[in-house]
Amino acid sequence: MSIVTVQLGQCGNQIGFEVFDALYTDSHCPQGLCSKRENEAYQASCKERFFSEEENGVPVARAVLVDMEPKVTNQTLSKAAQSGRWKYGQHSCFCQKQGSGNNWAYGYSVHGPRHEESIMNLIQKEVEKCDSLSGFFIIMSMAGGTGSGLGAFVTQNLQDQYSNSLKMNQIIWPYGTGEVIVQNYNSILTLSHLYRSSDALLVHENDALHKICAKLMNIKQISFSDINQVLAHQLGSVFQPTYSVEGSCHYRRNPLGDLMENLVPHPEFKMLGIRNIPQMSENSLAYSTFTWAGLLKHLRQMLISNSKMEEGIDWQVRPPLSGLPTLGKASLNRGLHFNMSIANLVILRGKDVHSADLGGFKDSALYTSWLEPINAFNVWKTQRAFSKYEKSAALVSNSQFLLKPLDTIVGKAWNMFASKAYIHQYTKFGIEEEDFLDSFTLLEQVVASYCNL
Amino acid sequence: MEGPERGAGGLGGWVKNVVFILKAPGHSTWRPQSGLRRPDRAELKGAEGNASTLDRTDCTQRPGHRSLGRRWRRAPARSVTGRRPSRDGTCAVIGRREFPAAAARDPREAGCMGRRRLRGHRGDAVGALPEAIAALSQTLPAGPSPEIFRRAKFDRPEAAPALWQLLFRVLSPLPADGAPASPASPASPALEAQVHLVKSALRSQGYPRRALAQLPEDGSQGSRELLLALAWLLARGPLLEQLLAQTRVRLGDEIPLCECEALASAGPLPPRQEADGPVDIRHLQWLMGKLRFQWRNLITSQQEQCALLGKIHSYTRGCHSDRSLGHLSVAETELFRDPEGGRQLLQRLEGENAQLEAALVWRRQELVFWKWMDTVLGACPLEASQPTFLPRTPTVGASELELVAQELQALHEELRGVAEPRRVAWEARAGGWGPEWTAVQRASQEAVGRELAALQRAWEQGEALAQTHGPRRLVKRDAGASGGPGLRAAELIGVLRSRETCLEAVLGRLQTRCWQELTRLAGARPGLLWILPPGR
Repeated sequence: MSIVTVQLGQCGNQIGFEVFDALYTDSHCPQGLCSKRENEAYQASCKERFFSEEENGVPVARAVLVDMEPKVTNQTLSKAAQSGRWKYGQHSCFCQKQGSGNNWAYGYSVHGPRHEESIMNLIQKEVEKCDSLSGFFIIMSMAGGTGSGLGAFVTQNLQDQYSNSLKMNQIIWPYGTGEVIVQNYNSILTLSHLYRSSDALLVHENDALHKICAKLMNIKQISFSDINQVLAHQLGSVFQPTYSVEGSCHYRRNPLGDLMENLVPHPEFKMLGIRNIPQMSENSLAYSTFTWAGLLKHLRQMLISNSKMEEGIDWQVRPPLSGLPTLGKASLNRGLHFNMSIANLVILRGKDVHSADLGGFKDSALYTSWLEPINAFNVWKTQRAFSKYEKSAALVSNSQFLLKPLDTIVGKAWNMFASKAYIHQYTKFGIEEEDFLDSFTLLEQVVASYCNL
Repeated sequence: MEGPERGAGGLGGWVKNVVFILKAPGHSTWRPQSGLRRPDRAELKGAEGNASTLDRTDCTQRPGHRSLGRRWRRAPARSVTGRRPSRDGTCAVIGRREFPAAAARDPREAGCMGRRRLRGHRGDAVGALPEAIAALSQTLPAGPSPEIFRRAKFDRPEAAPALWQLLFRVLSPLPADGAPASPASPASPALEAQVHLVKSALRSQGYPRRALAQLPEDGSQGSRELLLALAWLLARGPLLEQLLAQTRVRLGDEIPLCECEALASAGPLPPRQEADGPVDIRHLQWLMGKLRFQWRNLITSQQEQCALLGKIHSYTRGCHSDRSLGHLSVAETELFRDPEGGRQLLQRLEGENAQLEAALVWRRQELVFWKWMDTVLGACPLEASQPTFLPRTPTVGASELELVAQELQALHEELRGVAEPRRVAWEARAGGWGPEWTAVQRASQEAVGRELAALQRAWEQGEALAQTHGPRRLVKRDAGASGGPGLRAAELIGVLRSRETCLEAVLGRLQTRCWQELTRLAGARPGLLWILPPGR
C-alpha cells in the first residue's frame, strides 16, 4: 500500500528530500545481508510504497511539494533530478513568491483558503496514481509560518476529503533557543489544530538531533543537511519493509496502519517519538560490532530515562516497583524522571533477528496501569539489514517523553499571551483570542492526560 | 400390544411431525400440525399419555385399543414406494408417522410379535440403511463412517468423539468464502472446546433435550444423545443445503449484497465475560480507537481489492467463453497462470460433485434413516422430569438429579430474596439508577426501534428494487450496454446513497439536539469551565 508524502515549507521540503534519498539508497544497498530473492522483495515493497514508476524507468517519489517561496523547492527538485536515481514528479510542486513571515495566522487563514484548490488537486493526482492508498505523511515544522499554518490547514482538508485514510504528521520541534520570537504561539496553534485533525504526531526535536550530530556523528560544522540526514535515517528505519508475521517471508503491507493501530488508538495520546540505535558516522561503522542484547539494553534504558541517544544515558533511572499504588508511582516518576510508556513498537533489522530477546520491553512496570504489555508492546523484524548497519533497532514510542518540552512551550506561550504580546499580528488575519484559548485548553488537557498515566 | 408411548411424545414425535410436514404430502387420516412447532415442556416429560397431544387424529393411538391389525391393514395404503413385504407377510413398512407404533415395538418390550416384526423390519432395511447413512455422512462435512452411527445407537463411548466433531463442524460458522480447510487455517480446537461450543450452540438454537447438556465435557460419552441431536438438526431445517451452500466452490468474484442471512445463521454466541474488578475507561477508549483503525484499514483494503478487480476484469475482456459474462474472474485467471492450481480446483469441483451426488442418494433413501432414528429414540431412557432447567447441573444419577435441582432452585430463590432489597436500597442511594432509569432506558430503546422501523418502511416504499440477498457475481459491463439480467451497480449505489443521506440527516438532528442540551447544561452552572474532548 502506498503512502503519499506532503512536504510543506522550507523545513518540510528539505527533510522530505533526505527521506526519499535515504529510502532509495537503502533499498538499493548491495550489502543487504540476505538472499537475492529477499532483497528483491524488499526493494519491490519499498518502491511500491514510496515511489511510482514512470516510462523511462526512473522512480518518481509519491510526493507533493508545497512552499510559499520558490527557492527551497527549486533546490529540492534539482537535487533530486541531478542524482539520476530517482526524482520528483514534474508537476508535483506548488509554490508562490510570497512567503508567510513566520506568521501562523497568515499561513492558515490567507494562504490556506487561497491556494486550497490547487494544493488539493495536486494531492488528488498523486492519490490517483496509487493502486491503494494507505495514508498521508505530512512533513512540516512547528515554528515557522508556512509549514505550521498551512500545514494545519492542509491536514484539516485531508481529514475532510479523505476521512478514511490515515494521516501522520511529522513535526519538527524547534530549538529551545530558537530565533523566531513567536515560535511558541505558532507551536501551540499548530499542535492544537493537528491534535484535532491528525491521527498521529511524530515529533523530532531539533535539539536532540543536533546533539546526535555533535556527539555521535562527530560532525564539527553542523548544517541542516546533517540534521535532516539523521532524521531521515530514523524515519527510514521505521518505514522500510518488515515481515508481516513472525517468521514469515512476506513483507508487511500496511505499516502505517499497523503502527497507528498499535500505538495511537486513544484520541488523547497521539504523540510519538523515535529512538534509533546504533547511530554513528560511516567511518566508525566499519570498526564496530554489536550484539542484540547490548543494543536492546541500551534502547530500553534510553526509553526509561528519556534519553535521545546512546551516549550519556542515565543508568540510575529505574522503573518503579510494581505493587505500589498509582499515586505512589506518579510521585516516584516525577522524582526520578522515569518515562512511563503507553505503548511501544520495536523494529529490528539485521542479522540473527530471531535470536533477539525482547523480555526487557515486556515488563509491565514500563507501562501504564490500564494497558497490559501484551497489548502495549509490539515488535517488527526483518533480516535485511538497513543502510549498512549490520544490526539496528528502532523504537517508536507513545510515552511521556514530550511532556516537559510541551509543558515548557505552553508555559512560555501563556506568558506571552497573558501580556498580549504580538497578538495583533494574529488577530489581523482572523485568529482571535478565542482560538488561542481553545488551543491552550486542549494542550493543557493533553499535558494533564500524559501526566496522570 | 400397546405399551406406554415411550418417548412418543418426546423428541421423536416432534421430529416425526416436522419431517412429515416437509416431506410427505398430507394423508386423509393424518392431519399434520400446522408448521414447525417446538414442543413445550409437557411433551418433553416423556410421561405416558402424551402421545395424545400429538397424534390426535391418528386412530391408532386410541388408548387401550389393540390396533395392530388395523394398522397393518392400512399400512399398504400408507406405505412409501419401493419396499417389498417382509418375511412374515406383514408389510413392515412404517412411514415416519408410524412412529408411535414403532416405539411400541420397542425391543425392550416383551412380546414375540413385536420382536418378529422388528426383525422383519430390520431385515428389510439391512442393505438400505448403511447406504443411506453412508450417503448422509458423505454429504456432511467431517462425516464419520456408518459404523460410528451404529455404535452410537447403542450409546457406545468410542463413537462419541467423532460425533462431537461432526456436530462442531456442522454448527460452527464457516469463513465467508467457504474455503476448505487449508494448511494455513488454524487447527480445530481441542475436543473439550468443541464440546463446549456444540452445547452452547444447541442451547441457543433451542434444543430441548437436557441430557445432552449434562454430558461430560471430555467428550467421552453420550453418542446416542449426539445422534439424536444430529437428527434434530437435520429435521429442523434445510441443514444439508445450508452446509453445501457454505462450502461450494466459487468461480466468480462475488460480493455479498445483504447481510441478514449471515446474521440469521450466526454461530454460537461467545460466552459473556464479566470483567474482574473495575475497568479503566482509558482502556475502553483504547480498544474503541483500535477498532476504528482496523475499520479504516479494512475499508482501504477493500478499495484496493476493488481497484485490482477492476483491472483484471478490464484486462481479460473478451476471454470468457460465456458471452454474457465477457471477462474472467480472479479464480478463472488463476487457472491460466497456475496449472497446478487448476488441478486443485478441478479436484475441489470433483469433490463437490461427489458430495452433491451423495446428497441426492441421501434424499432418495432418507426414510430408512428416519425409521432407524425412531428405534434409536426408543432405545433412550425416559427423561426425568425437572421443574426448571438449571445450567451446570452435576452429572449424578438421574434420581438424585431432581433433588439437587430442587435444592439449587431453593438457594436461587433465597439469594434473590436477599439481593433484591439490597439492590433497591443501593439504587435509591446512588440515585438516578432506580426503576425510573430502566423505564427511561426502555422508553428510549423503543423510540429508537420505532424510528428505525419507520426509516426502513420509508426506504422500502421509495425503492422499486426488490430486496436482494446473498452473494452475487461481479461482472463488468461497458457503460453503454443495457439489458441483461442482474442488478446494476449504479442503481444499488444510488439506493445506498439515498439511505446514507437519510441517516446523515437523522444524525445531524440528533447531534444538534445533543449540542443544545450540552449548552443548556453548561449555561446552568456559571463559573464552571467545560472542556470538550478533542475531536470533530
